[in-house]
Amino acid sequence: MGEASKELKLLIVDDEERFLSTTEKLLSRKGYEALIAQSGSEALEILEQHMIHVVILDVNMPKMDGIETLKKIKQRFPLVEVIMLTGHATVESAVNGIKYGAMDYLMKPTDIEILIQKAEEAFEKTHRDKKNI
Amino acid sequence: MSPITDTEKQNDTLLQYKSIKKAILFCMIFVPLIPFIVSMAIGYYYFATSLEHSVTSNMEKIVYDHRQMIELFFKERISDLEFIQDSYTLNQLSHPEKLKQVFLNLVKRSSAFSDLGIFNEDGIHVAYCGTYTLTGKVYKKADWFQQAMQKKSFISDIFLGYRQAPHFVIAVALNSTNPKWVIRASIDTQTFDSLVEQVRIGRTGEAYIVNSEGILQTNRRSGGMLMEVLDETIRFPSHDEEILTFISHDSTGKEFMYATTWLEGNKWLLVVRQPKDDAFQPLRRAAYLIFGVSILGGFVIIGIAFYTTHRIIARMKKKDIEKDQLVKQLIGTSRMAELGEMAAGFAHEINNPLQIIKNEQSLIQIIVSELKEAGILKRSKNLDELNDSLDQIQLQISRCSQITQSILKFSRLNEPVLTHVDIRKIISEVSGMMDNKAHVNGIDLRYDISPNTPSVYGDPTQLQQVLLNLYNNAMDAVIERHGKSGGELSIKMNKRNNGWVEISIRDNGIGIKKENMEKLFTPFFTTKPVGKGTGLGLSVCYGIIKSMGGKLDAVSQEGVGTTFIVQLPASTGKKLVN
Repeated sequence: MGEASKELKLLIVDDEERFLSTTEKLLSRKGYEALIAQSGSEALEILEQHMIHVVILDVNMPKMDGIETLKKIKQRFPLVEVIMLTGHATVESAVNGIKYGAMDYLMKPTDIEILIQKAEEAFEKTHRDKKNI
Repeated sequence: MSPITDTEKQNDTLLQYKSIKKAILFCMIFVPLIPFIVSMAIGYYYFATSLEHSVTSNMEKIVYDHRQMIELFFKERISDLEFIQDSYTLNQLSHPEKLKQVFLNLVKRSSAFSDLGIFNEDGIHVAYCGTYTLTGKVYKKADWFQQAMQKKSFISDIFLGYRQAPHFVIAVALNSTNPKWVIRASIDTQTFDSLVEQVRIGRTGEAYIVNSEGILQTNRRSGGMLMEVLDETIRFPSHDEEILTFISHDSTGKEFMYATTWLEGNKWLLVVRQPKDDAFQPLRRAAYLIFGVSILGGFVIIGIAFYTTHRIIARMKKKDIEKDQLVKQLIGTSRMAELGEMAAGFAHEINNPLQIIKNEQSLIQIIVSELKEAGILKRSKNLDELNDSLDQIQLQISRCSQITQSILKFSRLNEPVLTHVDIRKIISEVSGMMDNKAHVNGIDLRYDISPNTPSVYGDPTQLQQVLLNLYNNAMDAVIERHGKSGGELSIKMNKRNNGWVEISIRDNGIGIKKENMEKLFTPFFTTKPVGKGTGLGLSVCYGIIKSMGGKLDAVSQEGVGTTFIVQLPASTGKKLVN
């Protein structure tokens, strides 16, 4: 397990625990530091405490679902970029997410490389946004 | 539906058709047939009545005219004799020479006279001129002599008399002479006969005279000689002037129309008769005609009734079948929608674990390569197999994900982006993509694209997907049958009369088995080997075309080829709001 070598910090939000742990491991092997949250509220707490650039957010979660979480994130942390992740047929809800400020969406099962690629794109955008500010 | 209730339903509808058929046939045959027959019958009745009337009045007229003629004949003959009696005395005419001279003059006036005789008041035949020798015979007791002396003139019945030959006589004894004497002339029966016999009605109508005892006084053309007794029953008029008409039959049972009237004070009866079938021949002809027309008309009515009923029932059956098909289609569509929803849920459930498997696989792969780099794992056959196995897992995961993607497409949750689409463009794009495959497999691509095909309203990407899918299926079918040469694929597009655009893709491939036609658009139905097809291609196409308000059909014959027909409503030119 290598140390985090990349500037980009990720937060993965999904209700599947095993998905979170394995993705975290994969990302860390690829040199990315990733935090994980099993629910929307947990994600918001982590965002309070940590500097996060990009959030990978599952659409379908119990209690607070992806779209709701997205709204809150965008409200409280407007500079954080969000990529929606959906395993559901609800592509429309993922697209809907874009309407509420998500940058992109990914369909499950997605390749880790593609996930990283999208995250990097989002990260670049945060840079641009910061410069613009 | 179980097969039993199906047959019961079929029997029910069959019975229903039968009773409808009966009702229509009944109405169509009897409603026109009854007035038709009634009008024919009325026509016949009136024609028969009027014909009978005209036949009767015609006979009455003949009888009347003849009576006039015959009575005139008698009157003239009597006045001839009266003239002689007035002009000459008994003495003068007692000389045979004188009598002969008078007789010759008389014959000049009428050839009916065959002899002439003079009698004194004692009935002694004083003089005679004729072919017999009757002079000197005494007739005091003879009926005709007594009647003539009493009544001034007398016409006898036909009788044989001394000469033993049938004849009748006219005797005149005027009161103006004193003493009274009698002049008598015999009338040639042939001349008299011809007078009566010349009457001819129709082909067989005839006239004759009988006396009150029913003895013929003239010959009858149809048989019956003078002085014979009639072989038929005749009704006699009650008084002089009356003309009686009636129908009777002779001894052979043949029916005749009769008209009878008295002549000369109820002595003789003039009979005119005509066989009924002769008199009513026009009626018989009319009856045949009416009968023929009725039969013909009846057949025409019945024929038309059967034909029309057959057509109505056939159309009803067709409509019913169409209705059944529609219901089946509706059921099929709703089942498909349910299936779509189920499949979508299923895809979701699969995708989550699939994501985890994918990540685990990636992790294993990374760890293995790290271990290899660190030199912990040596190159070995086992390591190769492990890598191969990992690759296989990756391959199978992507296969699964393809399936779930297709399912999601099928469940139409990817909402189409609708715009005006020029299908010609899409066809040329798709053809561009497929050209290589066609070329490599020796498939002859043919196009028949009508230049004035209107654009349709739909999602271009989805339409492209549909056409690609249909091309691919067609090519696979062609390759399976023909290998690398002899394949044909023709794409035809034109505007239909109802304003729709029709695209047909016809191949000469292996065709689709009849039992598979029903399941053609059902999700997960495939005839391709395991792993080659998801069984979702056509169901996705079906869903897409349906979502654009179109229709997708297939016609196929095993071993000949298949045609897929896409029908889409033409866009009106305005942008519609979905």
